[in-house]
Amino acid sequence: MTATTRTALQIRIEAFTFHGENTPVLSGATVSVAPGSLTAVLGGSGSGKSTLGKLMAGWLWAGHAGEFRGSLELGDTLLEFRGAPDDPRINPAEWSRRVAFVPQDAAAMLSSVRATVAEELAFGLENRATPRDDMLRAVERTAARTGLSDLLDRDPATLSGGELRRLAMGCAVITEPDILILDEPLASLDAAGAAQVEDLIRSLRGAGTGVVLLSQAADGLAAEATHWIVLDGGRTVRGTGLDGGTVTAAGTPAQLAGSAELQRAGVIGIRGPGVVGPGDVSPAATGPGVVGPSVVGPSSIRPSAIRPSAIRPSAIRPSAIRTSVVGPNPAAGARSPGPVPVPAPGPGPGSLELRGVGFGYGADARRRGVPAQARVLRDVDLAVNPGEIIAVTGPNGAGKSTLLRHFNGLLRPSEGDVRVCGRSIAGVPVGTVAASIGLLFQHPRDQLFERTVLREAAFGLRQLFGKAEAEGKARAALAAVGLSGTEAAHPADLSASRQRLLALATVLAREPAVLALDEPTVGLDQHGLAALQSAVVRAAATGTAVVMVTHDLAYARMNAHRVLELKDGQLSRI
Amino acid sequence: MTLGHRDYDMRPPLHPFTALTAAACAAVVTTAAAYSPLSVAVALAAVFLAVRRGVAGRVLPAAAVILAPLCLSLLVLHGLFFPEGQTVLAQWGPARVTAEGLGFALELGTRNTACVLVFLLFSFTVSVPDLVSALAGRRIPPQFGFVLASTLTLVPAVAVRLDRIRQAQETRGMVVRRGLLSRLGALRLQMVPLVLALIDDAGSRAQALDARGFGSRGPRTSYREVADPPAQRRFRAAALLFAAAAVVWRIVASWPVGVPS
Repeated sequence: MTATTRTALQIRIEAFTFHGENTPVLSGATVSVAPGSLTAVLGGSGSGKSTLGKLMAGWLWAGHAGEFRGSLELGDTLLEFRGAPDDPRINPAEWSRRVAFVPQDAAAMLSSVRATVAEELAFGLENRATPRDDMLRAVERTAARTGLSDLLDRDPATLSGGELRRLAMGCAVITEPDILILDEPLASLDAAGAAQVEDLIRSLRGAGTGVVLLSQAADGLAAEATHWIVLDGGRTVRGTGLDGGTVTAAGTPAQLAGSAELQRAGVIGIRGPGVVGPGDVSPAATGPGVVGPSVVGPSSIRPSAIRPSAIRPSAIRPSAIRTSVVGPNPAAGARSPGPVPVPAPGPGPGSLELRGVGFGYGADARRRGVPAQARVLRDVDLAVNPGEIIAVTGPNGAGKSTLLRHFNGLLRPSEGDVRVCGRSIAGVPVGTVAASIGLLFQHPRDQLFERTVLREAAFGLRQLFGKAEAEGKARAALAAVGLSGTEAAHPADLSASRQRLLALATVLAREPAVLALDEPTVGLDQHGLAALQSAVVRAAATGTAVVMVTHDLAYARMNAHRVLELKDGQLSRI
Repeated sequence: MTLGHRDYDMRPPLHPFTALTAAACAAVVTTAAAYSPLSVAVALAAVFLAVRRGVAGRVLPAAAVILAPLCLSLLVLHGLFFPEGQTVLAQWGPARVTAEGLGFALELGTRNTACVLVFLLFSFTVSVPDLVSALAGRRIPPQFGFVLASTLTLVPAVAVRLDRIRQAQETRGMVVRRGLLSRLGALRLQMVPLVLALIDDAGSRAQALDARGFGSRGPRTSYREVADPPAQRRFRAAALLFAAAAVVWRIVASWPVGVPS
């Protein structure tokens, strides 16, 4: 199919209001998508991007999900919605054949009852009674296009994040839609995974598919867009009655890059979350620990730029020398102003210490004779002192999350010892270690389980601080991450960025000696990043040791005293 | 149970309907015969096949969970209180242990054991994707197949979700110790989050299923092909006839003779 035979889509939203809410979640927005174009809808978390995408794709039915006033135009079809009972009804199956949508959570796209990647790809065709021979051809073609040809017999449940994202996109494009809407397609992918998705988008555009990118980052993919639309939701939270999202600017990337609207909307700068260029820093993002200038290359590192206050000779422990992961990284020090200084050394033990830790997954990880290459961690030594901020980087699947889960005993080492505040945690229940270690999970949804934001932040605080103080601590932690005013909301109703901040608040509220953060920047918009950075810096200033895992090297370099890489099961300084 | 291919795929594949027919017919014939030695033989055969298929480790515990309370209640109900019982073995007040009562309890117990075992054997060995595909091929509404597949995959999904919630709660200070009471207490805290999370999951998946045409009416096709050799079809027909004959024989044999209809 060529670009000329493809149809265009236009949505005009006067207002869309979810049932049971007073204010529209979206208003005053018009988006047009031409064949073969790439339109980037940029906005902070909670600006209504996903709602916009779902409305365009027929995932949210007018009348069923909420009240929609506006119009949808696809080719020759014009649907007018007035928020009345006799409004047209979209058949989601028919509509999605021409306008496909891939949600932020790729796993939600899958039927979950198909045994192989090939069958999952074919699911949408089966439901449309496509003859089997056509189905076989379509699966083969789509697999080749999405780079899934070698994975067709795999169980979808065993795919990596990047593979899952491509499968979800394959499920969406197998019906050859005219328009493809992608909600944060690069979130939590490492560089290799992101490159594959970007290539796929280019090839789809080349075949005439109009692509809409919903993103909170003006990244390299957004830079390829023909058109940018900035959606600003203020500080919207569903259920809190604040203003909804609206289009505040539209134009070419060249016109809008560095614009005030982009900054106000909380869109992350063009060079990634950690790399905040001078023009990209929002006022809220400045402060201790937040770096202004862009990354300084290794050649420009001057020894004199290393601030003595950031170095603690005593931080170098004999036990930590084995894998040479000790001492501050000169490169980190060169990125002035860097994190807050490490407090003066005290006589007490280090906050966290790993001695010769080894671990491997399998039927029985503790069995002797497991081959070394099957080990996720091998002879890992690490010493972290109060007030120190350490970043651990490495590609997807390197075992970074596995390392963090050893800190509080969710995983137990098969060799070696983990010591928290000078005491071994061997045999100590996780719930007891939790008084000293606060662990932020990689996926906030895995961490949140309560009915309201306040209950979530207050879970388990009574045992730590007593009934009188628990609620105050919870409220203070929510305030520290900028979530005051959302106490009554349901955690699932928060935007992805705010869910992560809430998860962070639940950890901060416990005032642990060690903060272990797993990919804390993923899903955060610029406002969220600022809240994260100030919370981390504040915690470190009060003596909390921070270990953060991130695949974003630039962010790690700018925000940590030391940057370590986990590779082949071992930590090394970079 | 996983949805993946099983490691015994080297054997000639059994069509899901063949396995289902075999299980159902075994249960029907055992019930119709009401003959303890046959029930015991069927139960033993099911155990033997479970061991051969490598699923005994899952079939037997599941059977124990179902059968232990069932057999115990049969024993109490019929062993102690069987009005027709003549041969009294022991008596405590109104409770009488009679040989007839024990015999009846044994017969019912072995029959139920046989039925439970054959159906557990079927459900632990059937390839769910094959079954769903075969059902769809027989014009049975796909929603039925989806519900069936979801039900069979629900237990592992719930286990994964429960584990995540437990980890999140432990990370925030909930201490779970080895004792049963501690674990039950922890489970109580996990129930509400579990149900809410499953509902949330179902909601988000429903939109995707609609968009992928799952809710649409009309014909469907199947990507997965399940071989159905003629020999298996003949076996199914024969098994169904045999089961029907057993039922008819049972009705005729126990029809009260000489009573005007």
